Amino acid sequence: MIELSNVVKTYAGRRIVDGVSLTVKRGEVCALIGSSGSGKSTTLKMINRLVEMTSGTIRVGGEDIERLPPEMLRRRIGYVIQSVGLFPHWTVEENIATVPRLLNWPQPRIAERVRELLGLLRLDAREYAGKYPHQLSGGQQQRVGVARALAADPDILLMDEPFGALDPITRGEMHAEFAHIHETTKKTILFVTHDMDEALELADELAVMEHGRIVQFGSPRQILDRPATEFVHDLIGMSQIGLKRLAVQRVAERMRPGEPAPGDAIDASATLKDALSRMIERHTDRLAVRDEAGRVAGAIRLADLVA
Amino acid sequence: MNVPGNKVLLLLWLVGAAAICLTGFVTHAPNRLVSGEPLPLWTVAGPAALGLFAALGAVLIVAAFLAPNRTPHFAVGVAAAMLLLLALAIAGEAATALLVPDHPAARTSLGPAFWIVELAATLIIVDAVQRRRTGPLMRLLVALVVSGAVGLLMVSGRLDALSILREFATHRDTFAVEFGRHCLLVLAALVPAVVIGAPLGVAAARRAGLRQGVFAVLNVVQTIPSVAVFGLLIAPLSALAARVPALAALGVQGIGAAPAIFALIMYALLPVVRNTEAGISGVDPAVVDAANGMGFTPRQVFWRVEVPLAMPVVLAGVRVVLVQTIGLAAVAALIGAGGLGAFIFQGLGQYAVDLILLGAVPTILLALAADLVMRTAIDLAGGTGRTS
Amino acid sequence: MRRLAGLTLAAWILASAPGLAQPVVVASKIDTEGALLGNLIAVALTQSGIPVTRRIQLGPTEIVRKAIMAGQIDVYPEYTGNGRTFFRRETDPVWRDAERGYETVRALDLQQNRLVWLAPAPADNTWAIAVRGDLASAEKLSTLGDFAHYVLAGGAVKLAGSAEFVSSPGALPAFQAAYGFKLRRSQLLVLAAGDTAATIRAAAEGTSGVNSAMAYGTDGALAVLGLVALADDKKVQVVYRPAPVIRALVLERYPDIRRLLELVFARLSLETLRKLNARIAVEGFDAKSVAADFLAAAPVTAK
Repeated sequence: MIELSNVVKTYAGRRIVDGVSLTVKRGEVCALIGSSGSGKSTTLKMINRLVEMTSGTIRVGGEDIERLPPEMLRRRIGYVIQSVGLFPHWTVEENIATVPRLLNWPQPRIAERVRELLGLLRLDAREYAGKYPHQLSGGQQQRVGVARALAADPDILLMDEPFGALDPITRGEMHAEFAHIHETTKKTILFVTHDMDEALELADELAVMEHGRIVQFGSPRQILDRPATEFVHDLIGMSQIGLKRLAVQRVAERMRPGEPAPGDAIDASATLKDALSRMIERHTDRLAVRDEAGRVAGAIRLADLVA
Repeated sequence: MNVPGNKVLLLLWLVGAAAICLTGFVTHAPNRLVSGEPLPLWTVAGPAALGLFAALGAVLIVAAFLAPNRTPHFAVGVAAAMLLLLALAIAGEAATALLVPDHPAARTSLGPAFWIVELAATLIIVDAVQRRRTGPLMRLLVALVVSGAVGLLMVSGRLDALSILREFATHRDTFAVEFGRHCLLVLAALVPAVVIGAPLGVAAARRAGLRQGVFAVLNVVQTIPSVAVFGLLIAPLSALAARVPALAALGVQGIGAAPAIFALIMYALLPVVRNTEAGISGVDPAVVDAANGMGFTPRQVFWRVEVPLAMPVVLAGVRVVLVQTIGLAAVAALIGAGGLGAFIFQGLGQYAVDLILLGAVPTILLALAADLVMRTAIDLAGGTGRTS
Repeated sequence: MRRLAGLTLAAWILASAPGLAQPVVVASKIDTEGALLGNLIAVALTQSGIPVTRRIQLGPTEIVRKAIMAGQIDVYPEYTGNGRTFFRRETDPVWRDAERGYETVRALDLQQNRLVWLAPAPADNTWAIAVRGDLASAEKLSTLGDFAHYVLAGGAVKLAGSAEFVSSPGALPAFQAAYGFKLRRSQLLVLAAGDTAATIRAAAEGTSGVNSAMAYGTDGALAVLGLVALADDKKVQVVYRPAPVIRALVLERYPDIRRLLELVFARLSLETLRKLNARIAVEGFDAKSVAADFLAAAPVTAK
């Protein structure tokens, strides 16, 4: 869905992006991760031509992005930034309706879409549609930001450190939302982050960047099991590698179906790390597990976590 | 010692009371040139009027000592407005009573106590309006009601014996002409200033180099005394008009409206450019970034995002410029451009204070009215609490 | 569209063509006497059927002078003595003679600027020193010579005057030289601006001990405020006779103006001017009606 071929960006004599080639398959979530100055934001911005590349090719949905005027391209790509950038003089509804209005959608369709997206982002339409951005909390603003990016049903979604400005609790909520949104909309998403844990938790594939180049590309398991360079190694932070591994696996993968266990159940979609944390909290080595419908489906044991 | 209640109201009350006790409410002079004899309030007001005056004063002083959240702001405002009108009526009656039939030159002028009481009453009304947190339209309504009442008093003829109104009667037709000229001068300067200044401000916001250059020039311009500018423009504009007769036919001449308008535009540019630049620069870069990322063209980003967000600041600049130009246009009379300043300078030459006031008071009122209207417009436009 | 353009062009040409029923622009300086004389001119012209545009009390001398030289105004009342500054002949004694001063400035302005000086009023307006009435009667002061004796004899004097009056060689220093007295700094109250209204008022009210003031011969306020102007019998001062100054072109267009204004100005003696000025400055009547009343009492026609 997104293809970068040998993309280079030079600025003031320096190569900020030094020959990046990357493919993101349709419906996948890819994280661009690196420390500051690695060129990850610049790479992202070249995809929607907010930054023009010096050389190379980028294709979205098979089409070379240079063939369209930049504004037309951007109306087909969802864009979410760290500081959200909601338009202060427009209501939540008007903000979300931005791109559909640019595309001249008929008003009823726009209204319908706004309602739909507010529902997807779990914001009560009646309460929030007429509010102004300054009346919302940081988390709510970013939800609207994501809704706005999805409004015109774009092919892909680009996100530039979307949760960086949020406090840890809100960030945790948003991570859960993210998973939910991706499952529901099945969009191809490329997001930039400097937080390895976030990347490991949310992405299907990670592209680790250093000095403008991709030094490793792979799934979270692959990155954790076999970091390609010392830089990747350091980025992961090997001190709690075990816990990090637990964080990328779900309870559903290790549970024992049908087995009973006492106490409140944990979601099958929760991570093994969450399960461990709860066991420690409750001084137990067994937890009941419930499925999506909320019914108790089985149990998971401490031994399963270290298997 | 912590005085409870409304300190502002208390202070204004004390100042007003001191003025009434210590200075003349009206002054009476045998002719236009000599200083008059000050007459305190109690010698010129009838018993009924005096009683009402004292009663209203009592209401205000009592209100001043109530705790702030219990002060009846509406009552305070009404009492102050009534006091304002009463003082005016008393002055008018006093002047009528003091008229001497065979000495038509005798003059009764408004004294210091009158002006201080009126100023204090106005400030009390403003304070009450602010504390009650009235909306912009209500504020405008209050101003209209009070001005309307004053206007009714004037039209009724009860104030006609006062010297300032006698000057007005003498100069009635010229007054209308000069008032019109004054307004034309202001408009003729304001519109070009905005048309030139706003784009300049936008350009300055975009380019740092340009910003420094533009502000350096405009800051220097602001420091030149206005009288000097008016004088300095005479020679070049005369020469220009002599060289290009078409301009002369249009009315561009060395003296009169053209140099005045030119100078007024020069002075008006800085606030317009500065506020436009601040407004555009003040738009959150994240918002512009998002707008670009959404797919707005640069022109759409400018008109649909930057301009609406910069508007409150820009309009604040226009408000400042409007008030400034109304005041500065009074100086234009020095070079023959007319306007309300003509009365000020005639009065200065003849040492006739009332003639000076005939020019100064309408100028001040015009500036205040313009300020209020602009503030109301700005509040209504930005009233949804939008900030960038 | 073309017709409109053609009409506009025709109108523009007509408007700039000289003399086609164009109104005469009557102006004056910003002071009281200027308003009076300007209105006298305007009313006289209007009464004779000449169309007039008024720009009375346009501004100070420099502004009005520039305006007439640029052709923006057509006629205004000027003073013969001002020829001194216009033509930079400050030290020429001719200005102290009313007749010769008028002749000189008339010739110079016609030759250099195509401006015509019409017949002046017989009022020899000059800078004067006025003293309080009570002082004048107590010390029997009626001329500047008397004043000089009084000062030399040690009499109490405080004179209010403008900075220009006190220092200009043609003003107070000339008086002092001719009449043989000298006022010490402590006997002077110097004001920044040149207006006699302020100085007269100071003397009338005895502000800061002032008992004498700089004044003009035609000041209307003198009698009303109880001040007496002392006679300049040695003719020390530059004479400022008021006369209408008109652009030669405009006079050619309306030759009757010469005779009309001659008749009007002939009636303006020093006394008459004082009285009329008093009605405006002291009693507060407006200049236009004072001028109209004066002319209504005895209308003038060119024939």
